[in-house]
Amino acid sequence: MTATEVTTPAAPEDGAPLVVFEAVTKRFPGIVANDSVDLTLEAGEIHALIGENGAGKSTLMRVLYGMYPPDGGRILVKGQEVKVSSPRVAISLGIGMVHQHFVLVDRFTVTENIILGAEGGPVLDVGDAEHKIAELAESYGFAIDPHRRIEELSVGQQQRVEILKALYRGVDLLILDEPTAVLTPSEAGELFDNLRKLRGDGKTIVFISHKLDEVLEIADRITVLRRGRVVGATRPQESSKNKLAEMMVGRPVLFQLDKPEVQVGEPVLKVEEVGLGNHLNGVSLEVRAGEILGVAGVEGNGQRELAETLIGLRTPDSGRFSLAGEDVTGLSVARLRKLGVGFVPEDRHHRGLVLDMTLWENSVLGRQSETEYSSRGGVLAIRKIKELASRLVEAFDVRARGITVPAATLSGGNQQKLILARELDDEPVLLIAHQPTRGLDVGAIEFVWRQLLDQKAAGRSVLLISAELDEIYELSDRILTIYEGRISGEYPSDAPPEEVGVGMTGGRAEAGAGATVTEL
Amino acid sequence: MATAVSGAPKRSRSSRLELIGGQILAFVGAALFAGVIGGIIIVLYGENPLFVYATVLNYATARPEDIAQVAENATPLIFSGLAVAVAFKAGMFNIGVEGQYIIGMLTAAIAALYLDRLPGVLLVPAVVLSAVLGAAAWAAIPAILKVKTGAHEVVTTIMMNGIAISLVAWAILNPLKSTGEQSVDLRTNLFPGKALMPSLAEPLGLPSSVHLTLLFPIALLACALVWFFLYRTRLGYEVRAVGSSSGSAEAGGISIGAAQIKVFLISGVLAGFVGLNHLLGDKGYLGNNYEVGLGFAGIAVAFLGRNHPVGIALSALLIGVLIRGEDGIALSTELPTEVLIILQGVLILSVVVAYELVRRTVARRQLREEAVVEAAAPAEA
Ligand SMILES: Nc1ncnc2c1ncn2[C@@H]1O[C@H](COP(=O)(O)OP(=O)(O)OP(=O)(O)O)[C@@H](O)[C@H]1O
Ligand SMILES: [Mg+2]
Repeated sequence: MTATEVTTPAAPEDGAPLVVFEAVTKRFPGIVANDSVDLTLEAGEIHALIGENGAGKSTLMRVLYGMYPPDGGRILVKGQEVKVSSPRVAISLGIGMVHQHFVLVDRFTVTENIILGAEGGPVLDVGDAEHKIAELAESYGFAIDPHRRIEELSVGQQQRVEILKALYRGVDLLILDEPTAVLTPSEAGELFDNLRKLRGDGKTIVFISHKLDEVLEIADRITVLRRGRVVGATRPQESSKNKLAEMMVGRPVLFQLDKPEVQVGEPVLKVEEVGLGNHLNGVSLEVRAGEILGVAGVEGNGQRELAETLIGLRTPDSGRFSLAGEDVTGLSVARLRKLGVGFVPEDRHHRGLVLDMTLWENSVLGRQSETEYSSRGGVLAIRKIKELASRLVEAFDVRARGITVPAATLSGGNQQKLILARELDDEPVLLIAHQPTRGLDVGAIEFVWRQLLDQKAAGRSVLLISAELDEIYELSDRILTIYEGRISGEYPSDAPPEEVGVGMTGGRAEAGAGATVTEL
Repeated sequence: MATAVSGAPKRSRSSRLELIGGQILAFVGAALFAGVIGGIIIVLYGENPLFVYATVLNYATARPEDIAQVAENATPLIFSGLAVAVAFKAGMFNIGVEGQYIIGMLTAAIAALYLDRLPGVLLVPAVVLSAVLGAAAWAAIPAILKVKTGAHEVVTTIMMNGIAISLVAWAILNPLKSTGEQSVDLRTNLFPGKALMPSLAEPLGLPSSVHLTLLFPIALLACALVWFFLYRTRLGYEVRAVGSSSGSAEAGGISIGAAQIKVFLISGVLAGFVGLNHLLGDKGYLGNNYEVGLGFAGIAVAFLGRNHPVGIALSALLIGVLIRGEDGIALSTELPTEVLIILQGVLILSVVVAYELVRRTVARRQLREEAVVEAAAPAEA
């Protein structure tokens, strides 16, 4: 039997909703992540779940997916009470989930990852599976090569693999935990087309997102969680971005910030003709003091390599880059950090946090050699580090049960806040911020944007690498586009988005009103 | 409500105690389970398990010298367990403790034989230093190979073990061969008495057949030092970060290669102590009948002790009891002593399973009681 043939065994009661949560409660030590939640998912709807970081969205869906046993309440699927004791059971009930943080095996190919756990027998028919996957991918318009290894894929592509994984198992209900966090607007648009197609097929989709515009665009119904409780439910036509934001955070949120006027100073970072394998091809750019330079681009066009080169994780094959006039090509991460470079990675789990370690241990990562945090003899100044951790947690409103819990227990957005707090705390001369607000709620995004603007107002610099055009426009003083490892265009901050969009897809925009396209 | 509850840190201590208590219970439970399995095997051999176990316990604890004997057995195991554990914390598997301590014995023997003009107060430390340097150098080779060429340490250390054994065999057959009358054993000359490790037997009023030496308290001290190293020093922090998330550690400015080489050297230093009690507390020469397998036993000890220094000390003592018990079994029963080795294997497996069960139950129970406590074992995990 192949996975796609798995059918739901229960005789559905006619007219019963697909899934009903009744007073579902889930506790973690010291925290009630879901507090008596009632929620109904109707067959064939796209149901958006929104709420602040740590509101309990992921937890609620993990309970449904069988990852955590609920501490109270019950779950009905098609009118029948079920005990979802594991994801395997969930899948047999027709429930699939794509996690906020992917669970793929890096070394395996796309096909191997998709069939992993759904092999359906002792003998693998990889050829057959590959064929099926290619078909499935095509029917939903996912451009993906089934032979590629996961480690070679961009985050956006990895996500498509995750979605395919669920579809391959023939689910009726697809839970997507922040699926668009890693997609560009156009990719998100494609995803939405696919989701509508799936809805047309009678599938139900739970869509968790912090992007309220998307929620308004795609959802049939919207449920808002705050601090573990359902605080409201609405429909897109009855609501607006501002209303949703206020329901989420409990206060009005500003979506537009004033950019402080700052006299830009000397170049801080100067990148000249940097090349790296086939990832970067003669990249040149310049960030000046008091400036935020935005690098816009579709995920997987060399952004990760650029960011990692500039923090010293990779050594360029050609070209050089300098910091305040001093050539720093090839210096180690430690040296660059000492010179005042901060780094917010796009992948918080593999480049940002040591998940097994406590918050206080993570707070000092990157600064452990500073004399304030360890003596010359190499003994950690634990009290000082804990003070630092408390300060970071307080300043960035990291919601956690204390600083001695492992970083793994934080919600995604709170993990991100911890990294941002750490990297901004020692006032870096240059902050390399790669997707800094990925996974943050609207309130937190506003907060982080303010921090980045403050960084600039204080005369420091930010290299902002983002696939979010909103973010690029909100913060940048100048905009570059990156495409296939090359800088494909330069634009002033008031250039029309369509032009920047052209640069992001590799075309060279003709200079439009007020826009200059410089070939670098 | 999903609010953080204040006062958590204070209560978390009690939860940690509960977890430790739970782990001790788990250990006891697993030991009982292993005892039952072992009992079945013993019955199949036609012996009475209760009698056999009583014999083991009796031999290990009846008289002060028995307890001293257990401590003597535990001494090398503590060092080898620590050596395995520190490397493991950096995500590396030091299978080479075996070869490293064998080389350590060789370099110690060279120092003991050729530096004999030094007075005892200097000679003993010189011999120890020589052992440590030899073992660390032996550990450095696979570490450097790993960092520079990517050769996996498991493969290279296994090969280094083979080379170490051959090297010692060659040395005692050629340059270090005893010069005295034709001895039956292939071995070096006897070391000068002042090169031997000070014995604790006499000061404690124990018979001289017990080879308990200063190395036992040193082993306990090493546990404390390793704990301090791992949880209180910058290098220990870096090593743990590399071990659990090398990518994030690297982005935090930690050089993975440097951390791995350093921790492998530390592992080698600890390995250098493994053979010393045998060499300097017991034999007084290096012969071809030297004790083997202590490095591999260290893997079991580290596993049983969950790579935590305190756990390592306790599990080394436990295995010390079982080793002592082998003598008893050999003397008073018809059983092959391998039964105790089987028992050790079952014990290790069941303890590992039991620890995990306890960790989960404790976490779950604390949730049910809605106590504000820490769930996971942060350091030991
Ligand atoms: N495995 C866990 N152990 C302990 N606490 C946890 C665990 N998982 C989540 N929590 C806590 O439960 C709460 C809800 O977390 P959850 O991940 O569901 O939030 P979320 O709404 O998905 O947030 P985000 O938007 O940031 O992803 C948070 O306070 C979090 O710290
Ligand atoms: Mg989440």
